[in-house]
Amino acid sequence: MTLVRRAPAQIDVFARCLDEAVEEVFHLMTGVHCLPVSECPVEEREMISAVIGLAGALSGICVLCSGEKVALRMAEILTGIATPRLNDTVKDAIGEICNMIAGAWKGRLPSLSSECMLSTPTIISGTNYQIHNQRPDFRIERFYSFNGNSFAFTVLSESVE
Amino acid sequence: MSGIAALIVDDSSVMRKIVERALRQAGISLGEVFEASSGIEALKLLGQTRVDLILSDINMPNMDGLEFLRQLRAQNLAADVPVVMITTESSEEHVRDAIAAGAQGYIRKPFTPDQVKDRILPLFGGA
Repeated sequence: MTLVRRAPAQIDVFARCLDEAVEEVFHLMTGVHCLPVSECPVEEREMISAVIGLAGALSGICVLCSGEKVALRMAEILTGIATPRLNDTVKDAIGEICNMIAGAWKGRLPSLSSECMLSTPTIISGTNYQIHNQRPDFRIERFYSFNGNSFAFTVLSESVE
Repeated sequence: MSGIAALIVDDSSVMRKIVERALRQAGISLGEVFEASSGIEALKLLGQTRVDLILSDINMPNMDGLEFLRQLRAQNLAADVPVVMITTESSEEHVRDAIAAGAQGYIRKPFTPDQVKDRILPLFGGA
């Protein structure tokens, strides 16, 4: 877990809720467990990203980053359909997984549940990029693995009311 | 209960298929399944087609699911058709807003087929 600026008890709660949200989404929607891991190979977390904007009580983004292979596996377990290459269905699936994780995460936090809105997903493809924000408040970056496939999920906030 | 014609409204084609799959896995006997990627598309479809059940996302571009529901009721379209919202928004406030707009049920994403069954069957007299 990588934190920027501070690591108060609240950030720890945010991180724990994120772990729970990821596991809930994967287990309920796919039947597969998805648990935190300490690291994620770079090639498995750079290729495609799904971004959900957060607005309201918390301003920021949730980002799911994975490699192409992992994205294909993720889409396959969600849809039940194997896809040989990155296409609109895979991108849609990644976006929906990110959306559900973001929603499940904020739903666990009373201060955010009804006071923080989610955007519709945006999908970004490409490698070797970094996210910058002008007024960083906190950044939680976690790695997760399902069936031996790893990806990264980041919550980046500019402010918390 | 057999042959329920359902309309699934979600901007994600993947989620529309997942919802249909969950309905079938829940043992709900479906007739024709219609899909709409937006509230606007759904309103247009409902002006021409009769369905027995509507399931709608809330967070959609252009017209969100609550506005779609308000428009549905305001235009007296599908007046007797139950509408169930399927969404990542889970706060009590969101549920209240959906019910106030005219929804008969609310399913939070992520969901299991059993949760879908529990929300849908009672709408058609099932246990």
